[in-house]
Amino acid sequence: MLIITRRPGERIVLGDDIVVTVMEISGQTARIGIAAPRELPVYREEIWEAVKAENQAAAAVDPASLPQVPPPGDGADE
Amino acid sequence: VSTTIDSTRFGRIEVAPDSAISFPGGLAGLDSTTFTLIARAEDDAFVWLHSLEDPALALPLADPRRFFSGFALEPAPPAGAAVYVTVRASERLEEFTANLRAPIVIADGIGEQVINEAPGAELRAPLFAELAAAAAEQAA
Repeated sequence: MLIITRRPGERIVLGDDIVVTVMEISGQTARIGIAAPRELPVYREEIWEAVKAENQAAAAVDPASLPQVPPPGDGADE
Repeated sequence: VSTTIDSTRFGRIEVAPDSAISFPGGLAGLDSTTFTLIARAEDDAFVWLHSLEDPALALPLADPRRFFSGFALEPAPPAGAAVYVTVRASERLEEFTANLRAPIVIADGIGEQVINEAPGAELRAPLFAELAAAAAEQAA
């Protein structure tokens, strides 16, 4: 792993079109700005892991397990 | 010219060329970037996002507004975009959930899974909670 020391306001450039900026450091927290092409997904790691788990769980669903759902408004008061 | 997929779940499916949906950023944890939407019946509460690259890869999606009256997406999707949420199934209906935290936004043949910053956008929101509550209210 490449380890780089940066101060607030300083940037790191990844390739041609990704720029990571250290916006602010406060105690244990660093605010990071990321400019990247729209097609490049950027996630906080724990969210990415969680979304990955949900996507994989969805991909494992058996169509037969999905219940019939009454059409919207059917039998409802509204 | 339409393509066909031999879906492991649904058998042979004809896919019109203009119904392909490209996900340039992919979907986290899934190894496919081109999908199509399959509705098994008109007015079905679920549609399937089916890979055009992997006949065994498909995930059920739901319209979040049909199940979650307070659903909000921030940042707001582009006008005219379709918004879906992935569904996690279970043996018990009470344990079905939808991922409101990472909806799938589709517009003009391009799909993207976005992070929903709206407050209360749960990763595993009970899918049938509102329908069950409405049914219980009606029975009471």
